[in-house]
Amino acid sequence: MRGWDRIRSSRSQIRGLGGFTRLSNMNEHQPSSRTVRLGRIQPQAPGHRTIYCNDRDANLIVRFKENSVSTTKYSILTFLPKGLFEQFRRVANLYFLMISILSTTPMSPVNPITNVVPLSLVLFVSLIKEAFEDWKRLLNDRVINSSPIDVLQGQRWESIPWKKLQVGDIVRVNQDGFFPADLLFLASSNQDGVCYIETANLDGETNLKIRKALEKTWDYLTPEKASEFKGEIQCEQPNNSLYTFTGNLIVQNQTLPLSPNQLLLRGCSLRNTEYIVGAVIFTGHETKVMMNAMNVPSKRSTLERKLDKLILALFGTLFCMCIISSIGSGVFINRKYYYLGLDEGVESQFNPNNRFLVAVLTMFTVITLFSTIIPISLYVSIEMIKFIQSTQYINKDLHMYHTETNTPALARTSNLNEELGQVEYIFSDKTGTLTRNLMEFFKCSVGGEVYGTGITEIERGAAERKGMKIEEVPRSATAVHEKGFNFDDPRIMRGAWRNEPNSDTFMEFFRCLAICHTVLPEGDQSPEKIIYQAASPDEAALVTAAKNFGFFFYRRTPTTIMVRESHVEKMGKIQDVSYEILNVIEFNSTRKRQSVICRYPNGRLVLYCKGADSVIYERLAEGNNGIKNLTREHLVQFGSSGLRTLCLAYRDLSTELYESWNEKFIQAKSSLRDREKKLDEVAELIEKDLILIGSTAIEDKLQEGVPSCIETLSRAGIKIWVLTGDKMETAINIAYACSLINNDMKQFIISSEADAIREVESRGDTVEIARFIKDTVKQELRKCLEEAEHYLHTVTGPKLSLIIDGKCLMYALDPSLRGNLLKLSLICCSVVCCRVSPLQKAQVTSLVKKGAKKITLSIGDGANDVSMIQAAHVGVGISGLEGMQAVMASDFAIAQFSYLTDLLLVHGRWSYLRICKVVTYFFYKNLTFTLTQFWFTFQAGFSGQRFYDDWFQSLFNVIFTALPVIILGLFDKDVSASLSKKYPELYKEGIRNAFFKWRVVGVWAFFSVYQSLIFYYFVTASSRNGHNWSGRIFGLWDVSTMAFTCVVVTVNVRLLMACNSITRWHYISIGGSILAWFVFIFIYSAIMTPHDRQENVYFVIYVLMSTFYFYFTLLLVPIVALLGDFVYQGIQRWFFPYDYQIVQEIHRDDPDDSSRAELLAIPSRLTPDEARSYAIALLPRETSKHTGFAFDSPGYESFFASQAGVSAPQKAWDVARRASMRKQTRASKKN
Amino acid sequence: MKDFFLVDSRFSQQELPACKPMLTPGLVIMAFIFIGTIFIPIGLVSLFASESVVEIVDRYDKGCIPEKYGKHMVAFIQSKETNKTCLRTLTVPKLMKNPVYVYYQLDNFYQNHRRYVKSRNDKQLRSKAYASETSTCAPEATTANGSAIVPCGLIAWSLFNDTYGFSVKNKALEVSKKNIAWKSDQDSKFGSDVFPKNFQSGGLIGGAKLNSSKPLSEQEDLIVWMRTAALPTFRKLYGKIEVDLEANEKITVLIQNNYNTYGFEGKKKLVLSTTSWIGGKNDFLGIAYLTVGGLCLFLAINFVLVYVIHPRPLGDPSFLSWNRNPAGHCTYG
Repeated sequence: MRGWDRIRSSRSQIRGLGGFTRLSNMNEHQPSSRTVRLGRIQPQAPGHRTIYCNDRDANLIVRFKENSVSTTKYSILTFLPKGLFEQFRRVANLYFLMISILSTTPMSPVNPITNVVPLSLVLFVSLIKEAFEDWKRLLNDRVINSSPIDVLQGQRWESIPWKKLQVGDIVRVNQDGFFPADLLFLASSNQDGVCYIETANLDGETNLKIRKALEKTWDYLTPEKASEFKGEIQCEQPNNSLYTFTGNLIVQNQTLPLSPNQLLLRGCSLRNTEYIVGAVIFTGHETKVMMNAMNVPSKRSTLERKLDKLILALFGTLFCMCIISSIGSGVFINRKYYYLGLDEGVESQFNPNNRFLVAVLTMFTVITLFSTIIPISLYVSIEMIKFIQSTQYINKDLHMYHTETNTPALARTSNLNEELGQVEYIFSDKTGTLTRNLMEFFKCSVGGEVYGTGITEIERGAAERKGMKIEEVPRSATAVHEKGFNFDDPRIMRGAWRNEPNSDTFMEFFRCLAICHTVLPEGDQSPEKIIYQAASPDEAALVTAAKNFGFFFYRRTPTTIMVRESHVEKMGKIQDVSYEILNVIEFNSTRKRQSVICRYPNGRLVLYCKGADSVIYERLAEGNNGIKNLTREHLVQFGSSGLRTLCLAYRDLSTELYESWNEKFIQAKSSLRDREKKLDEVAELIEKDLILIGSTAIEDKLQEGVPSCIETLSRAGIKIWVLTGDKMETAINIAYACSLINNDMKQFIISSEADAIREVESRGDTVEIARFIKDTVKQELRKCLEEAEHYLHTVTGPKLSLIIDGKCLMYALDPSLRGNLLKLSLICCSVVCCRVSPLQKAQVTSLVKKGAKKITLSIGDGANDVSMIQAAHVGVGISGLEGMQAVMASDFAIAQFSYLTDLLLVHGRWSYLRICKVVTYFFYKNLTFTLTQFWFTFQAGFSGQRFYDDWFQSLFNVIFTALPVIILGLFDKDVSASLSKKYPELYKEGIRNAFFKWRVVGVWAFFSVYQSLIFYYFVTASSRNGHNWSGRIFGLWDVSTMAFTCVVVTVNVRLLMACNSITRWHYISIGGSILAWFVFIFIYSAIMTPHDRQENVYFVIYVLMSTFYFYFTLLLVPIVALLGDFVYQGIQRWFFPYDYQIVQEIHRDDPDDSSRAELLAIPSRLTPDEARSYAIALLPRETSKHTGFAFDSPGYESFFASQAGVSAPQKAWDVARRASMRKQTRASKKN
Repeated sequence: MKDFFLVDSRFSQQELPACKPMLTPGLVIMAFIFIGTIFIPIGLVSLFASESVVEIVDRYDKGCIPEKYGKHMVAFIQSKETNKTCLRTLTVPKLMKNPVYVYYQLDNFYQNHRRYVKSRNDKQLRSKAYASETSTCAPEATTANGSAIVPCGLIAWSLFNDTYGFSVKNKALEVSKKNIAWKSDQDSKFGSDVFPKNFQSGGLIGGAKLNSSKPLSEQEDLIVWMRTAALPTFRKLYGKIEVDLEANEKITVLIQNNYNTYGFEGKKKLVLSTTSWIGGKNDFLGIAYLTVGGLCLFLAINFVLVYVIHPRPLGDPSFLSWNRNPAGHCTYG
């Protein structure tokens, strides 16, 4: 470190003396010449690096890290030691390693082969898998390292691969390109030296960030200019803090401070900027993104944790067996068995003089003997099964493939497949998850009249529930459907509004839409090509609507808004009007409204205001009650249709009034303390006496199939909670829309929007506020809980739902109230938490996860869902449209919420079923096998003599019974996918964990004991006398080979009995396994090896097969062994059938459904533009007491500010807000 | 996009053709009846075959001890002085067609004890070249002076050494000792060039001595003995009498009662048995088949009864758990 600094300081000294004289000969060949001078140099502060821009040779001596990155876990050299170390961190492997070592001692009854072969096979398979995965990472690295980048060489841009990039290089990054390293931003093709970057890969935020270059460097844009740039950067050493950066740029003897604003991080991409020029500061593994790279702690499934307990139980059994054997051996050993040669010199393991020592040593002996009870290949088999399940089934399921965005489902981990089959609680984000986050202008109410003929999905859903059919009406000629606008009404389209009785109101309506907003137009100034950059999609939708009504907003300058108006004076006439914007009173969550004061070209001063109905109505001028009441009715109607509503109003201002107000406003704006509060107060002065124009209704379209998906999931016993940062009204609205809540439900609402709380809040004493809210929440909770418990005891009580907002939740999550909250929410069918922060989302999730010990799933699409996704047992990200942050944190990524049905009910359920079967079967097969050995011990004087040949024992797990169980884990289906979805209730078996209870394990264990007794005693009992005409007698190995044959046949056939569906792969694998045994024994017993093998089994199979005993036993024993299971299964199925069994029976005659197509049909997609409003009139309308509110996008406040260059504090949920316009372009690029 | 799913889609879409066996009551009953009808005949046939075997079992370990040694049986058997000849008379219950097999049966003799099983050396037995290979034979590997014992090990050392002489009506019956071992053992495991050496030359004699002029491959007693038994009670083939024995004939057996089973409270039995195609007398298989077959039929009847009394229509949706207790309070309309 010190050497480094000294070299660098020497360098600066040189530069100080020699200015910019080229020290071209100073390269790595003569580093010593420079170190000589060190003594005279003032030492730099350690921990800083100095970079000479555009001067490779100067930087060479310091040996900065190169820019190639490697994310591989191993290298060729470290692969074996490191890989093996990883493997032996697993207890089972370590156990087998110990057993293997133990079996090399003379104490062992078995050859080391018995334990070494399975262990090495398992390790081999695991290592191959590791190597394969690392290989893929290596390839990935190579692709990244060799992607091209333009670097300044001489006076030209040369394209070189990323990995060749060095610190100090000047690079050019083009639009949409990724930054290859951490760069110092020098110049941009934008005039004012700014560029826009997207940091989605870094933190998931998809809103664009502005970076601004230092003014001094703005000119170094062309290669000619850039080559003249000779700067020296002194900056901090690489670190992992994404948001801090300190350093100085020394250029032309000027020291300029650097801030994060000039830093472009690797992993981000350039947007909206043709190209930028930057200097490389940190490379490769020293970039901030790489220094941030850490392994997300991997989740283990609940079932696997329970599996550990099962393994522990097996260890317990093993221990008991060993204890029994060792005590037995201590008791048995006796000098009277003179033929055992137990004279004085006998080794201590058999020395009758010290029975205790005999017992202890025998303990070790039998541990090696019974080691097969621990299923060594279990973990590797399960891993393989899950890997194939996730890569082949989940990732390739056509039913989870979203064609429009070309997004298949993605299992990012294969650990949690079976966890998907046991989910009981789903925590869902709202925007972008339940809804598409595509706002469409859908209806409006102008001057007391409703316009817009569409039918929303919610209405259609409600109608369908009532059994009504809405006729599809062909799209009318005037209908327009573009992004953000889905509206049709011949009365106002194409200028027809001019003929409506209140055409003046229309004019105000449209101008309000076109003027009162903070949208930035982008791109070509034609109606077809323009792109609106809005903080919230709602705003964009409103401006788009204005455009379609003939008020095309096409340009914004700081003081004006340009609107191209048509049809105003005369049909077809077009006129560009420039409105002077005098003031913008911005939206915030307390104001719930936004106002713009503008001056018409003719001097008219108008204040346009749009906002939530509640705040607008308070500020309306007296009179005009007719329109007010009509509009209010319409608002309710819109609300119940699931639309987000806004009220529009205006006020004509006189110049004097405005001037006097403006003074106050400017004062307030420039005040340093309580600016926001003062602005609010000033705004109140002018936002009054408004005249209501009408209201807009925007549809935040639900994603396809969401309501039916939610209904299916609820029938499956899954409870869905909506956790959203949105307003309570919106949240409730959506909950209605998804039929999570309906009017038959008893709703408990715990809200901080109560008058009492507001009053306390207005007093401003934070301690008092906290105390008061806490008390209120406490009381509310208690009250609700009492009521809920009351309903719980009545039979026909209403269903319950709980709606709670973030502020109350904060107090309800307090340890003292948490219990009640949990109790209450578990009683409720649906829970909606609104206005919650990402942290609270995670807290709620872990409340249920830890408090109720239920299996939870979180689904979300934005960075604000990341904590929740990581907190839940299973995290699901919505992929395809948004930033990658949620997906990167998730365990599974799907393109649509509705794919949850397939993911949970089909894949999850099957996985759960299969893994349960695999685990219990493994348990059974090893227990059975080991128990036969155990029974033999009783009749072999507890000496630890092995019953089976070494190779039988070692190959039992890895060859003779390995493949069928994997086939089972891959192919078993109880009912088809379509039936899984048709009978979602089947999923409850997973929630109850019906297939991996101790009871189930107990049944398997019972039959293990039964079967092993049958194997041992039937085979030995029938082997006592001669077995054919020749009267010859069998020996130990004949009997054990017979028993082993029976075991292999039986456990394989038993597997067939456990299958619900049998493919040819089952036959092949089971037949193959049994065949493998016979082939093995035919060969093995036919050869004599010169090596040390006691020829135990030489020729035994031929001896056996020469007798009838062999065939009779082989027929009898497996059938008797399986008879028990058969009877059990028969009785169980008859008297205590599982649900899936009934469903199998119901559909036993169905043809094999080769396609799930019929159930793919998501209840007929709503196409609102093809329906007519009169159809709705026929519907018995669900009344709703609330109306939607469109102004709830939390990112709203900061957006305009940041566009204006003011950095507004980012709210935690701001990150969820995405630049909606980007989505489509990016999505299409993926295709 | 198309090639995305070009891989075997039936596999990845999990739509491989499969048959779906279902354990319907009918199937269960059918299976029981099927097993029953297959097993009962097999049981009858094998029981019949077993019954057709004539077997004489005579326990002689106690009876061959003179009364005065009643309390000191071990001393008797270990003494070199005592006369160990013993005369037993057996009555043939039924005609025994030749060949009549002569077995000895030992009880409580743990030929499957770990220390015992491994105390042999197959290499040594197989080939002269490995005569000094006694690595696994402890404690009977070498003589006191260190030369290798052939055949080494406890198994060979404890070779059974009672002998039987049979006579009917004072006419001696010849006992053939040929072909009493499995051919594979004789041919491959015991070398024709391996001769006993230093065998039973130590202070403690375990059992029979071997004729050191005969190769091991011809010492069939040893070969039989060394195919260690699976259980502590076992029979071993002693020889064959190749004449018919008429019913009610009295057979006189002259036993040289040398083998020490008294030390470990074992039993010694002499067994004369004919064979049938199923082998020696063993009712186990027949009874097992009959029992299982009978049990299956019994179960079939029971299942039929249950089916009549307590029918459950196949695929009755009312048995679905959510139909049995409906209206769990949290289901959505």
